[in-house]
Amino acid sequence: MCVLFAKVASAQKDLLAFNEQNKYMYYQVVSQPGLVTDTLKDRALYFLEQAYPKNTVKKGETSGNYTGTGKFLIVTGITAAKHVEGEVNYTYYIECKDQKYRYWLTDFVFTPYKVDRYGNSVPQPGIDIPLENGTAKLDKKQVDSYLDQIGTYSKAFGEKLKYYILKPAALPKDTKKKVISTKDW
Amino acid sequence: MQGIECKKAPFLKQPYNFLTYNYLFNMKKKFLLLLLAASTYSIASKAQDTVKTTQDAPLVLYGSVDTYYKDDFSGHANIPTSFASDNNSVSIGMIDLGLKKTVGNASFVGEMSFGPRNDQSIPTAGYHIQNLYVSYAFSPKFSATAGYMSTFIGYEVISPTGNFNYSTSYLFTNGPFQNAGLKFTYAFSDKVSLMAGIFNDEWNVYTSQHDVSTFGAQLTITPVKNWTAYLNVATGPTSGTEFDLTTAYQITSAFKLGLNAATYSTTHYSAGFSGVALYPQIAVSKAVTLGLREEYFKSDNGTALSTYAPVGPLPGGSVLASTLTANIKAGPLTLIPEVRLDGINKQQYSSFTNSSGDPTKSASQFVLAVVYGF
Repeated sequence: MCVLFAKVASAQKDLLAFNEQNKYMYYQVVSQPGLVTDTLKDRALYFLEQAYPKNTVKKGETSGNYTGTGKFLIVTGITAAKHVEGEVNYTYYIECKDQKYRYWLTDFVFTPYKVDRYGNSVPQPGIDIPLENGTAKLDKKQVDSYLDQIGTYSKAFGEKLKYYILKPAALPKDTKKKVISTKDW
Repeated sequence: MQGIECKKAPFLKQPYNFLTYNYLFNMKKKFLLLLLAASTYSIASKAQDTVKTTQDAPLVLYGSVDTYYKDDFSGHANIPTSFASDNNSVSIGMIDLGLKKTVGNASFVGEMSFGPRNDQSIPTAGYHIQNLYVSYAFSPKFSATAGYMSTFIGYEVISPTGNFNYSTSYLFTNGPFQNAGLKFTYAFSDKVSLMAGIFNDEWNVYTSQHDVSTFGAQLTITPVKNWTAYLNVATGPTSGTEFDLTTAYQITSAFKLGLNAATYSTTHYSAGFSGVALYPQIAVSKAVTLGLREEYFKSDNGTALSTYAPVGPLPGGSVLASTLTANIKAGPLTLIPEVRLDGINKQQYSSFTNSSGDPTKSASQFVLAVVYGF
């Protein structure tokens, strides 16, 4: 069973491919029949505003499409002894058309963390390692583990986006106050 | 019945018989099941944490263990700075265990340590507490912290994972290790923040002697990316006054330059010290980094009534300490070979002795340490 779990976990790295600039990329095109461009864009925007804390995914917009940066922690170890190894910063893109949208995450850069004098895990300034060149500065085992976590995170990013795209309930509710007049009846 | 008795007794002291074997076998099975359950939960929770974007971080365990061998070339220990004090001995530093947790805006850190390095770095050896504090973030820019905390002053720290060199500087040894108190931190921007607080009247105490009367402040400035400077002050009628500049600049991904400068004066009789230390470090491969610590440290003369004398040269004297260190990394393990040479300006200010036991101006040592951080 342990071997099975290990295989499932390590397979997440395979979700990543290389783009034209030879950088790791998680790329998906999703068909969404029945939804026009504007609806998709509204829902994607709401996803960017609501799905992640503002300091982890920053919202940007260029020529009608969304692009920005995000980051997440790389954690190793078992539950009771989790260790923050560092953070991965990335760039995302979301583009919408009638009946479909696509998104991709790329430019994955790892910054190692260290424990400071107060016990806080903090980034080591000036050490930014693009994962494509990861093995030049990190062990292969480390790089594989980080790519697995990037794959898992990217997949979750896509699933969350899909949830917001599919579920109109995820959109902001009409907050107009319901007032009953007792004068006219 | 015998089996139950066997379980009740401390099994390591039992003669190895069939019942003991059964007991061990059952224990092994339970342990393996527990391990399987833990690893399953771990894998499942790993994916969830990344989706949750770690807003509420899990309980985190961190720490280190360290051990060392030191050979002072005189044949006996000479250099008086903190830790690595045993000569010609494979000795231990400490096991350091920290726990931290954040839920919403509230967090705590509790860090315990055991071993000679613990005993040399905290006020009451039996307490074993390095850090014990709680924090609350009123906003992303403003937070308050209360408890017993590692000092905000200085370049080097108690934990061996936080230092490049294994031996420590005179500035570190003579400065505060911990300050207990209440502090507030406000971030004006990504580049400027200010901490101000009130701390116990003496450094390195779990309980104040009289009152909470040391004022401390730290101005943090990031002039350019990867360069951070900390301007620190701690001042009080009992503890005296220390001004400190600590700064580090990661100039390239391979080269880092650190600097620590400080001056301390006691409240009465003008005793104290001042010094400066430079820390250039260069990564020569992905596993090996070389670093130098070049420190100048001066002990003030004081007056005839002064009873304060810093660790190092006798009052009026100064020392130039050169330490060449390598950090060789293998995963979480760091091998630290180090050579150090300390020279005092005049023999009259020196307490060093040579292999014959005669006074001398200089001392040198070799240290080989291993630190495992987790």
